[in-house]
Amino acid sequence: MPAAKAASGTSASAWKAPRTADGQPDLQGLWTNATSIPMERPTELGAKEFYTPEEFARISAAGYHGDRNPLPEAHYDMSQFGIDPLQNKFAPNLRTSLIIGPEGRIPAMLPAAVQRNVARVAALKGHEWDRAENRNLAERCIMWAQEGPPMLGATYNNNLEIVQSAGQVAIFTELIHDARIIPLSGPLDGRPHPAKSVHLLRGDSRGHWEGETLVVDVTNFTSRTAFRGSSEDLHLIERFTRTSPQTVLYEFTVEDPSTWARPWTAQIVMGPADGEIYEYACHEGNRALANSLSAARAEDAAKTAAKH
Amino acid sequence: MTIKSLLKIKTVAWMGLGALLAGAPAWAHHSFAAEFDDKQPIKLQGKVTKVEFINPHSWIYVDAKGANGAVTNWAIEGGSPNALYRHGFTRDSLPLGTEIIVTGFRAKDGSNRGVGKDLTFTDGKRLFMGGSAPGAEGESEK
Repeated sequence: MPAAKAASGTSASAWKAPRTADGQPDLQGLWTNATSIPMERPTELGAKEFYTPEEFARISAAGYHGDRNPLPEAHYDMSQFGIDPLQNKFAPNLRTSLIIGPEGRIPAMLPAAVQRNVARVAALKGHEWDRAENRNLAERCIMWAQEGPPMLGATYNNNLEIVQSAGQVAIFTELIHDARIIPLSGPLDGRPHPAKSVHLLRGDSRGHWEGETLVVDVTNFTSRTAFRGSSEDLHLIERFTRTSPQTVLYEFTVEDPSTWARPWTAQIVMGPADGEIYEYACHEGNRALANSLSAARAEDAAKTAAKH
Repeated sequence: MTIKSLLKIKTVAWMGLGALLAGAPAWAHHSFAAEFDDKQPIKLQGKVTKVEFINPHSWIYVDAKGANGAVTNWAIEGGSPNALYRHGFTRDSLPLGTEIIVTGFRAKDGSNRGVGKDLTFTDGKRLFMGGSAPGAEGESEK
């Protein structure tokens, strides 16, 4: 199948996913959601949604073109440290941005949502390093923001395993060791979302099949895992489609009327991962948290000494 | 263009020992700036005394000789064991007693701890030059 079609998700290919023992399309296996594609389209590309294979090869040869976030003060060379996304194996995808459609960008945040996010940062300002509880969930080895949902590549250890049973789908992400259980609607399950008062770090997922596609509805988020500034009202609709023996197309639509005036949708093509999922016992040697807090205490002491 | 050929384009061509020292960029597990001081660069040479292949970051211990001849044991933060393992680096890849040179940045609290920016053997070699990383040729099929 031409890569462009696989990436666009619009292919009307005759290929059909194999079936599990109970007849579901089979998404099972080890997949990587690593990607070199930025979430938002560079503005100079306008409405251009796809590169040609030739353009893509040229850009790849020139280096990474994603959400580069180097650390200028330390002069890191991403490739030297093995975390340049181009060093990962990933599935072919000619998209210019993960966000689909002519705009390819997240809609402008509503003014009230901007205020909410500014207030959240302001409330912590000056106290970021006071105690472990003030640190983000990743530093505390509780969850990795990119594991979602929505599930995005984590830059390294971008591996996940999908396992299906008749009534549930489980997704085990290597970073940061979580197994997400998605109950499927049907005779074996079919429970609705819990009450609105229930808030979960990873939201509450409910799945059902629409033809070849597993559709997962996710609600009941918390404000502690705000996705791109989202609120507790975040509603995600995820779609998993096996598009070839080597690819699963993962699409998610973000709805949050408290944050954006309209929904927006992104796609990642997942490809086969190397090897198995390795344990990522994050807390095993998480010295960074203690070291960061001791660094802050050393800075506090230096400031105090300077006053006297 | 086939999926396989595209995968080939995208796979790692080489992986230096620098991969071992996936210290820090903002994508890393924690903030570099919170823990380490970019105004305190360090350069150490000495023998490896311990390698901790632990999550979320590996740690390498080096007995480094200071200007006054005194030997100090330094702890150097490295990359995620899972990523290192996939690139062919295991706990046995850096035997105890190996003489290495580390450049990096010291911990802000002034302890003998740092993050590795670069790590080489005394002859200037890195551990894996060339495409020895697993899956480097995109041969993994589903």
